[in-house]
Formats: sequence, C-alpha cells, structure tokens
Amino acid sequence: MASVNVESEVTGKVWKIEASIGDNVDEGDVLMILESMKMEIPVESPVSGTVTELRVRKDDSVDEDQVIVVIEQ
Amino acid sequence: MSWAAEVEELRRRRKLAKLQGGEDGVAKQHARGRLTIRERIDTLLDPGSFQEQGLATAVPDYDDNDKFVGFVPANYVLGFGRIDNRRVVVGGEDFTLKGGSPNSAGLRKSIYAEHLAVQYKIPLVRMLEGGGGSVKGSGKRRGGGGGDSVFSEPRFKIISDALGEVPVVSMAGGAVAGFPAGRMAASHFSVMTKYTAQILIGGPKLVERALGVSLTKDELGGAHIHTKSGLVDNVADDEATALAQCRTFLSYLPASVYERTPRIESNDDPTRMEEELLSIIPRDSNEGFDVRQMVSMIMDKDSFFEMGAEYGASQIVGLARLAGQPVGVMANDCRVYAGAMTAEAAQKYRRFVEMCDTFHVPVVNFIDQPGFMIGPEAERKGTIRYGMAAVAAAAQATIPWASIQIHKGFGVATAAHYAPNAYVLAWPSVETGALPLEGGVAVAYHREIESAEDPIAKRAEIEERLRDARSPFPRAESFSVHELIDPRETRPILCNWIEWIQPQLDTLVGPVKFGMRP
Repeated sequence: MASVNVESEVTGKVWKIEASIGDNVDEGDVLMILESMKMEIPVESPVSGTVTELRVRKDDSVDEDQVIVVIEQ
Repeated sequence: MSWAAEVEELRRRRKLAKLQGGEDGVAKQHARGRLTIRERIDTLLDPGSFQEQGLATAVPDYDDNDKFVGFVPANYVLGFGRIDNRRVVVGGEDFTLKGGSPNSAGLRKSIYAEHLAVQYKIPLVRMLEGGGGSVKGSGKRRGGGGGDSVFSEPRFKIISDALGEVPVVSMAGGAVAGFPAGRMAASHFSVMTKYTAQILIGGPKLVERALGVSLTKDELGGAHIHTKSGLVDNVADDEATALAQCRTFLSYLPASVYERTPRIESNDDPTRMEEELLSIIPRDSNEGFDVRQMVSMIMDKDSFFEMGAEYGASQIVGLARLAGQPVGVMANDCRVYAGAMTAEAAQKYRRFVEMCDTFHVPVVNFIDQPGFMIGPEAERKGTIRYGMAAVAAAAQATIPWASIQIHKGFGVATAAHYAPNAYVLAWPSVETGALPLEGGVAVAYHREIESAEDPIAKRAEIEERLRDARSPFPRAESFSVHELIDPRETRPILCNWIEWIQPQLDTLVGPVKFGMRP
C-alpha cells in the first residue's frame, strides 16, 4: 500500500467535496471541486485506490501545492 | 623518410580520446544509470552520421608532484551529425573525465560548439552533464593564468547570439551546475531526466557553506523543482526519451532563421470537423473544460508537442502542425486560475512568442483570458511587469498570427493575445470586456448594490441582466472580428489561412529586430 498525496494546483476555496473517506475511486474520478478566480476546478484522483484522508472541509481556503486528499493505492 | 611515425602517434591519440575516462569511468557512469556522452550522441543522431571535430584535443596531465604523466582527452565531445537527415551540431561534457568540470581543451570545444552552429547555420544540441570552473583551475599548472585578454570577446556573447540565429536545445542527463546550468537556461527548448539529473547554480557543498542548509542535489535542483521553476521545459523518464523529445522539437523548426519552417505532407484532412467542438465550452461560464483536448481536435492528429506544462500552468504553449505547416500554439487553461496570466505564465508566454518570432513560426492563439492574476501574491510578484513584457512581445511580433476568441477575453492581459494584423475569429461562446461581469458589477454598481435591501440578490440580478444583453453578433456586425464562426469550422478555416500565409512565410527570413533572451 502506497499513499499518494493529492495537491491543489491553485490557491482558492473548497466549493464541494465529492468523495468520502473509505470510498474506492478510479483514476480520473472527481474528488472535490475547488473554486478559484470564479471558476470551478475539479480535483481528479491521480490513481485508483481508497480515500483515506480528506484534509480540508467545505469553504476552507487552500494554497497552491497544499495536500488536500490522501489516497491509498 | 615519411611522416608515418607521427601518423601512428595520431592514431594512438585518437584511440585514446575515445576511451573517455577509461573502463572504470565508463562503468561508474553506467552504474549511476546514465549514458556516456558518446552513447548520448549515438542515441540522438541518425545512425552513423556523427562527424567528430577536434578528436585529438587533449591536455597534458600532471600528478600532485607536477610530474608529467600523459594526456587526458578534452572532456567535451563535439561534432556534426544528422537528425531526420537534417544537419545539426552536437556537443556535451564527458562526465567520465574530471566529473565534467572543464579542462582547458574541453572548455574551448564547448564554446566552439556554439560558434560552429552559428557559422554553419544549423541547430545546436547540447547534452549537458558537468560542473563549472574549479578553484584548481583548468589544468593550467604552469605559467599563464590571470584570465583572457581584456579585448577578447566575452565568452557569453556567442551563447546569446546563437539564440537569435539557430535553434538551441539542451538536455540534462546528470548533475549540471555552474556555467553548464547557465547554458541549460539559454535554450529554446530544454529537457531533463526525471531521476538522474539535477540542475544547480551551486551544489550541496557550496550551499551548506554559504547558507548552513544541508540539502541533497535532488532536493536543490531535481526535476520536481525545475519543472515548476520553469528552468526546464520538459522532463523525461530516461535519456532516450529526453533525446527523442529534442528530435521532435527540432522537427518543427527551420535549421536557422535564414530558412523557412519545414512544412511536411499531412495525411490529416484539412476539412475535418469535430462534432464535439460545438459543445466543448459549457454554457455556465464558471464551469471549466479540457482545452488540450480542444487543441488536439483542431491541429493535425498527434502533432501537438507541449512545452513547460507544469510552469505557469494557466497558459499552455507548444508546437503543432496545421495542414503540415508548423505552428506555435497557445491556449489558456481555464482549469488553472481560470487561465489568468500569472507572473510565471507571462514569462512563459513572452519567451514562447519571442521564439516563434525568431524562427518565423506562425502562431495560433486560443483565447480564454480572464485577465492578469490578482491578489496579494500576484502584486508581490510584480505580475503586471511580466505581463506587459508578454504584451510587448506580441505587439512587436512580425509573424502571421491567428487569434481565436473561444471563451473569455478581459482586461489588459488580453492584449497579449493579438499581434499586428492578426486574423481574428470568434466562437459564439466568447465574452469580452474590461472586467469579467462578476467582479465588474461589484465595482461599477457598488452603490446600487450596497443600498439594496438584499445586496446579494441585487448583484445577481444586475449580473443576470447584463449577461442576457451580451450577444456575440455585434462583434461580427461591427467587423471587430474577421468572422464569427461555428466552432466545428475552426480547423478548416485555419488550414485555409495556412495557405494564405505561405507567400508571407517565404519573405519572412533572417534575424528579427528583437530575438529571444533566456
């Protein structure tokens, strides 16, 4: 089991969380949607695996490169 | 008496030169997962095409007691060769000798490589691995020293001149520090290997001494650092892939500014229309879309070669072909800061426009520009200075240029997307103006909004009213765009434009007034 950190590509706000802890996700599945510069930015899972950590909540601010989700492969 | 004895000695020396750092040196290089410079050259070039220059160049070597012990080959290998049957100059440090740090003959050859490319008007490919100068000097133990004469040309002049005359490509296959790191930056295209290369101004020992920080080479200058710093354009899993990228990059460019871009036969139908383009842009302007997919649907199949994807990621740049003609492609990625022009995106954009202008590569620009990035970080970075440099590069560009307004076009940053005499097309999905509606309404109608009973509802109401009043048709009626088009027609129309610009491309040869700087 290797854990993969999913980072935010942008500075912005958490608009909607789509995944829950324990979910099995496929590569490309949308984990959450961020909002930045008035755009909805989907955060896709880079790998297939299980969501083990959600490090942010709805409406939290996120920074570029901040780890927001952890997936166990 | 013939000259047989000297010729025999010459043969011996040539053989010696090819031994590089000896079996041990070569084995060590392989153990680190890296190719030797001669293997790199063979991997890059068409088989059997390498013609080495200065094979017998060497320096006499002395031991610590200053006793003569023999010759060491110059630790820079240089010559002519062919890529897809087109001539190039190749060169690179021999890391199996003295860790690539230049000996005097090696340094001379490394500088000559640049001269050779400019003199013969062909691209230069550098395969870099090595450090800069050493306090031990460049093998100069006796006499001399004190530096070059005051009237000799600066060593860096030819490096700068080359950027304005011939395509310059650099590949880092190992640790590259000091002067070679500078060469890496002074390139039109650069690529490093993901696991075996680092690029450093100064290595770990220097950093620890100067700053008291202990970091590995990889932590300081690995691929994960420099794809984001923008120092390198691309990263590759191994050297063969990195060198393949160098070949691909060169396939779009002329041999020098004195030639035309190489147009090839395309087997992709210029009238091809992709149905998906009709709905690729969501009607909800807050919803993003995959602009790379859009670009690849319009360009010749599989011809898009992206550069620097991880740096300034809100702006995509790359080379592609349309009806076989190489073009520079730019597109905003609305999934990163809505495509806003950050300081990094602006620098990436400026360099790319300058490169296209230098080599007379026509540009196709897909505009989804919400403006310069705003906010405290953007102000601290002086974003608008870099932004204006991007605007200036476009405003002074001399190449044929097509701009396709696909989504948004707001603010001064949008000016960077048009060159003089641009061919301007618009999709029905475009919104333009001084400010996007959302922010713009908050500024222009702030009194009305603040005094309303429900300010949020009031703002939404004004935004909705203004949005409804927007229509793509007036811009066509007033001839502020050449054509308002069906997105599916984009490829046929652009391929048609490619035919119109052919006579113009014939006349656009030679150096430009303002070339590219690193």
